[in-house]
Amino acid sequence: MPEPVIASVGASPLGRTDLPGRDLFSVALGEAFDELPDPADIVEAVYVGNQSESYEHQIMYGTLLAEWAGLRHVPAERVEGCAAAGALALRHAVKDVRNGEHEAVLACGVEKMTSAGTSGATDALSAAFDRAIEQRSGITAPSQYALLAQRYLHETDATERDLAKIAVKNHGNAARNPRAQFPKEIDVATVLESDPVAPPLKLYDCAPVGDGAAAVLVTTAELAADLDQPQVHVAGSGASANNIAVAERDMTDIAGARIAAETAYEEAGIDVAAVDIAEVHDAFTVCEALLAEAAGFAPAGTGYQSYQPPAERADGWTDVQLSPSGGLKARGHPIGATGLLQALEAYEQLTGAAGDRAVEDAETALLLNEGGVADAVTVGHVLTTAEAQ
Amino acid sequence: MTDGDLDATDPRTLPGFFDALADGELLGGVCADCGQVLLPPRPACYACGSRAVDVEPQSPEGQIFSYTEVHTPPPAFAADAPYTVAVVELADGGRLLGRVAADYADVTIGDAVELTVREPTATEQEIALDYEHDWPVHVFEPR
Repeated sequence: MPEPVIASVGASPLGRTDLPGRDLFSVALGEAFDELPDPADIVEAVYVGNQSESYEHQIMYGTLLAEWAGLRHVPAERVEGCAAAGALALRHAVKDVRNGEHEAVLACGVEKMTSAGTSGATDALSAAFDRAIEQRSGITAPSQYALLAQRYLHETDATERDLAKIAVKNHGNAARNPRAQFPKEIDVATVLESDPVAPPLKLYDCAPVGDGAAAVLVTTAELAADLDQPQVHVAGSGASANNIAVAERDMTDIAGARIAAETAYEEAGIDVAAVDIAEVHDAFTVCEALLAEAAGFAPAGTGYQSYQPPAERADGWTDVQLSPSGGLKARGHPIGATGLLQALEAYEQLTGAAGDRAVEDAETALLLNEGGVADAVTVGHVLTTAEAQ
Repeated sequence: MTDGDLDATDPRTLPGFFDALADGELLGGVCADCGQVLLPPRPACYACGSRAVDVEPQSPEGQIFSYTEVHTPPPAFAADAPYTVAVVELADGGRLLGRVAADYADVTIGDAVELTVREPTATEQEIALDYEHDWPVHVFEPR
């Protein structure tokens, strides 16, 4: 079977921008194809991760972005899975290349979240929850994750201060990431004293609302070599849906994420200890703790130690470094683009293009992208350098 | 499979479930094969995949499993904020999310609560879809 690789990446600025979604995409695509032939000369299919039509009153994003890329008469579609839409788009592209259907597929994601203020984003995101019970109870994204956090703090030794330190760590990483929405260091007091959003979560426990687009070109290894592009192998891919309602899931053993990660490891033929870096879905600080455990990096109840250097974590932790980009928390979280921004970070880390934030000797990365609340749907990818492969 | 004749009177559909809830009866699906409780009832068990799902009345009594307070509500609920929401573990084993009629500071994990039912407010009616207008809203009251 053909070997799918990432051959190029690009992103728009992240945060509050003056560009609509399609124009954010044009910026991301422009970076990805800066040193390549035009998309029309290479790309055979397009998948677009996009959360909600309520931001721009626009569906048909597959058609629209294919057109804006100069691609006509190719298969193109929007992929929907709330915040996991980006990684679902990547997964479709990877499968198309692996099964020999296409040699080059564009996986992209876009979200124009600032179009109607915080209330518009709150309302759009609430559509990800079960309509019959959850939405009618007035639940929101932060309050859903607060239910997980409350339970996690109840069951483990973790404290609100530990969760704050995860935010501090990720802001520190973002300070060295020129793409980050919030490239600045913060301290623990700033997190702990920030406004309550849904206790125990405070403003600085939450990823921001922001605009953004990302583009990832998936090709065969041969085509990437012909294009003279640095390539990162997509060695494994897994996805898993769980119940839509949080109440009906295990709220501290994130089973869907565990299955998505294990599927990706198995497909890649690696053990969890081989993972050097991980971009996990830290939409809220508690997510990084929960996903460190689900991914197998940390023993149950110790995932909150992700902010500590490897030598100071509990026995049984691997040496993985989490969220070198700054994570959703500080790099930014333009919903439909997030899964592809994770892939972009891994591509830069594994091709020696991560600058000041490079994790030394990183050869293998895990990406975990979630949609809905926690593991309503999770997508996992294992990316490796050509040498490790 | 034998669900081809499901209609809106069947409690395994949302209209059937909410009709019963409006009369004060909380119905759950109970898997005949593994015992999993499904709230609301539905045609298949998520735990084992069985489609042998019985519909049985569920105790309205339960305990707080987790809880929080919404400070930044969806626009339609702005006037209610802040309000307390919780996941409640019911006495018969099912878990259900809902509002709690108590201040956040007065709630803790393990507290005893009871499910009650009220008609939707005028504001809730405004955002209801056509088929939702008669659906009641459940609220957990401290016991």
